[in-house]
Parts: sequence; structure tokens; C-alpha cells
Amino acid sequence: MLSYIDPGAGSLILQALAGGVAGVMVMGKLYWSRVKRVLRLGRDEPDADEPRP
Amino acid sequence: MVETSRTPTSLVLEPGSFRDWDGRVFLGRDRVYRALSAVGLADWDALAASDLFEQFTASGELVATDRAGDDVLDEIKRLDPAGGWVGALSHERLPFVSYPYEWSFSMLQDAALLQLRLVSTALNEGLMLKDATPYNVQWRGAQPVFVDVGSFERAREGEPWVGYRQFCMLFLYPLLLEAYRGVAFQPWLRGSLDGISPTDFRALFTRRDAFRPGMLRHVFLHAGLERRHADRGSDVRGELEKAGFDRKLVSATVENVAALVRRLRPRPGASTWSEYDQTCSYLDAETAAKEDFVRRVVGQRRRRLIWDLGCNEGRFSRIAAEGSNLVVAVDSDRAVVDRLYTSLRDEASTSILPLVVDLANPSPAVGWDNAERSTLADRGLPELSLCLALVHHLSISRNVPLREVVRWLRELECEVVVELPDRADPMVQRLLLGKRDDAHPDYSRETFEQELRARFEVVESVELASGTRTLYHAVPR
Repeated sequence: MLSYIDPGAGSLILQALAGGVAGVMVMGKLYWSRVKRVLRLGRDEPDADEPRP
Repeated sequence: MVETSRTPTSLVLEPGSFRDWDGRVFLGRDRVYRALSAVGLADWDALAASDLFEQFTASGELVATDRAGDDVLDEIKRLDPAGGWVGALSHERLPFVSYPYEWSFSMLQDAALLQLRLVSTALNEGLMLKDATPYNVQWRGAQPVFVDVGSFERAREGEPWVGYRQFCMLFLYPLLLEAYRGVAFQPWLRGSLDGISPTDFRALFTRRDAFRPGMLRHVFLHAGLERRHADRGSDVRGELEKAGFDRKLVSATVENVAALVRRLRPRPGASTWSEYDQTCSYLDAETAAKEDFVRRVVGQRRRRLIWDLGCNEGRFSRIAAEGSNLVVAVDSDRAVVDRLYTSLRDEASTSILPLVVDLANPSPAVGWDNAERSTLADRGLPELSLCLALVHHLSISRNVPLREVVRWLRELECEVVVELPDRADPMVQRLLLGKRDDAHPDYSRETFEQELRARFEVVESVELASGTRTLYHAVPR
């Protein structure tokens, strides 16, 4: 961690809301990158219970 | 501006300064010293070279600071050999330390606005503040002074405002609590040194409150996002940077919060003593006699520190300020203290520090090892205490026996000017209303004088014109 206090993950994300259009774009990119990561994780490490395609 | 090379005599570790590992504070007799790690020293160099440092030091809003001599660093290394300190700073020592749970609404508000101005100025100069806590602000009378020079660091591009959550918990939510609910923030901050969490604060409001300025974003969304992201690590920072987060977004947040803080107004509930000056039982002639008495004692010699206990609107604090470096003016009524503060602030006074303190339950030692924040008395005893219109409130309203009140006064180890209204006094009669006829049998002038003379030498006493009130100037035996 870079700081000595807990900045709070939610508190950091909230700050993108302040910036109008720029902020919305940051929020969009942030969540889109998460969606992509979730999809990729799903492909790379499928659950053991599921049959491999 | 600042002496740098005088040998420090016996430094003492400040027990409340442990949280940030890049610095540690040591108290000298007239100066405060800050030990710095290699990172802390590089951050200091960046700050010292900035316009911000020059500008805020000149206005007195940033504590006067210079590099300390090698003798200070050597002494610090001797005291704390494992600290790994590579540099040391020397700060001016402010005369009296106070905490946000002793401040009135407008004091916390002004401290918040100073914190926000520092953040927005820092951003323009490639600097940032690593935290946002009111404990970094102290007072030069009614002027807020930012004292934690170790809070400044070199900004990292793409990084959000790390202190935003702390700002909400310790500045914004306490202010909103009073402004929107009329509830005092001081007891909560005194109980919780980290402030009010977004989740707890959200729980105090209904959905309808989301329409009030600032509530939707800083409280409702904040609490919601906190709940959603409770399990995430600090990788959010990297993700935000990749998503294009930049300094302008931080500035926008800071501006938004500053606009909100500026528009908030205190809304204390019905205050008993707020209208005291209009409704109190003094005759004008009596007030003048009291003023003369206090002025005479204050004028005897210049004192370093005077306490005005139960200061009300500060009439006697102002007289005391004529003969001392600093008056700490305390009252338990936060509305009264807020009014005193705003008038002192508007006069740019630096000689009276008003504080919200209930003397029947004064600030305790709290925090880690009960040493992070100290009691009022441990922060420096006065040379003179004024206790005007105080004893009957402690003794009758709060049931503290007279004997206890005098013992406590004696433990302040200072001269006192104390007023005793006897049982016939209209104010005492008012306080006795609703109590049994034989209530407070110890409350009499005879008992008081007996106790006072046992512990003090009474230099002078004057009976006021009404015949029900007596003033004493007493010196400890």
C-alpha cells in the first residue's frame, strides 16, 4: 500500500463521479476493464466442476 | 526567521505521532522537531521549494518550519536508534494544543477549508497531502494553522485523492451532522478518533435526505460503494490510473467538497446559555465591578497562559488577553463558543483560543495506550484561572460538592479569580428550583470560604453590589 491511511476502494472510485464527462469516461473504462478481466479469468481458469469445452 | 542550530535540551517523543512511518515528532522546550525518513526528507525538499510553502508560511496558516541542525538529528537518533531517521525539521511551537472534539462548528469548518485550500494549491505544484485529518490543524488564537508538514508528499500522476475518505469521516460528516440534524459532533469525535464511517453516517438518514446538498454523493453513494468494494484490495488505484484518472478529477472533487463545506451553517438545538448575556441576572454596575476586579488581577503582571473557565461570550477572556500571551476560553455550550470564535476570527484575534469543554466531564486521555490525545490539564496548566459564574453550575447543576470543586481548583496549581453566588442569589435560586428544600446543604459562602482558605491564600475579596455574590483572588498555599 502506498499510503499510511486506508483510502477506501469505494471512496476512490467515487471521485471519478466529480469530473463530469471525463469522470464518466473513467468510470466506464474502469468497469469495462473489470468486465473484460472477469471474462478472461473465466476463460483461463474454469471451475473444476465444469467440463472443459 | 527561525533558529536552526540551538542545542535542543531533552527532547521528548510525542506519543501521538506514530501513524505515519515517514516521520516522527519530538517535543523540545520551545520548538517541535520532526524526524524524517529518506522518503520524508525528499518530500520535504519538494515542499520547501514550492510557492505553497512560502505563501502559507507567510500567512501564518502553515507552521513555521526550517531544517533542524545536526545536533537535533543526533539527539533524535540517540533517543530512537531504530527509527532510521536521516533528517530533522524544526517547527515553531504553538502555545496550546487542542483537538477537533473541543472545537465549535465554525472552527471545524474553517479547519476543513484550510485543508481543502492546501490540497488544491498542492495539486497545482505537483504536491499532494497524504491524509486529511483535523488533528493536523492547531490554532494561533482564532487562526487555524496546519502543523503536519509531514503530510505533504510529491504527487503521483493518475492517483485519486487518498485522503477523501478520511476527510469525510473527520471533517464533512461531523459538519453535516450538526448542519442537517442539529446534533453535536463533539461527543462522537471524542469517542471515535477516526471519525464517523460512511456506513454509520448513512444509517442516520432516510432516503428523503438524499435531496439535501452533498448527501447523495458524499453519503449515500459513498456508503453504497464502500459496501460493494469492501473486499477489494488497493489495486483500485492502478485500475483508476489505467482508466485515465487524472489530477483534474481530484481538483473537481476538492472544489465540489469545498463549495459544500462553505455553505453549511451550524444549527445547534436550543442552547441554555446562548442568550445568557441578555437574560442573566447581572446588573450593569455589577458587571463593571467584576470587570474592574479581573482587570486589576490581570494587570498585576504579564502571564503566559490564562484559562477562562465558563467563558460564555468571552467578556472576561478579552480582559484577560490584555495581560497574557494566550487565553484558553472554555465553555460547555457549543453555540456560545461558536459565536465567540466567529467574532474573534472576524477581528483576526490571535490571543484567545475558544474551546468547547464541559468541565464536569473534561477531555480525557484517549487513543493508543491512552497517550495519543491528552487531557486538557496535561497540555499545559495556566498561571491564572478565571472561574466567574462557574462554581454554582458545577456544584448545583452538576452536583459536584463544593469541597471537590475547590480541591480541583487547587490542582490546577495556579492563581484563581473565583466568583461565588450564595443561596440567596436569583441564579442559584433558579438552579435550585425543582430540587428538595434541603438539597446541597454544603452550598454556602461559609463552607466555600473555609475550603478556599484551607488550600489558598485569599489575596482580595469583594462583595458585589447585589450582596449575593463575592469575588475572590486567591493564590495556592
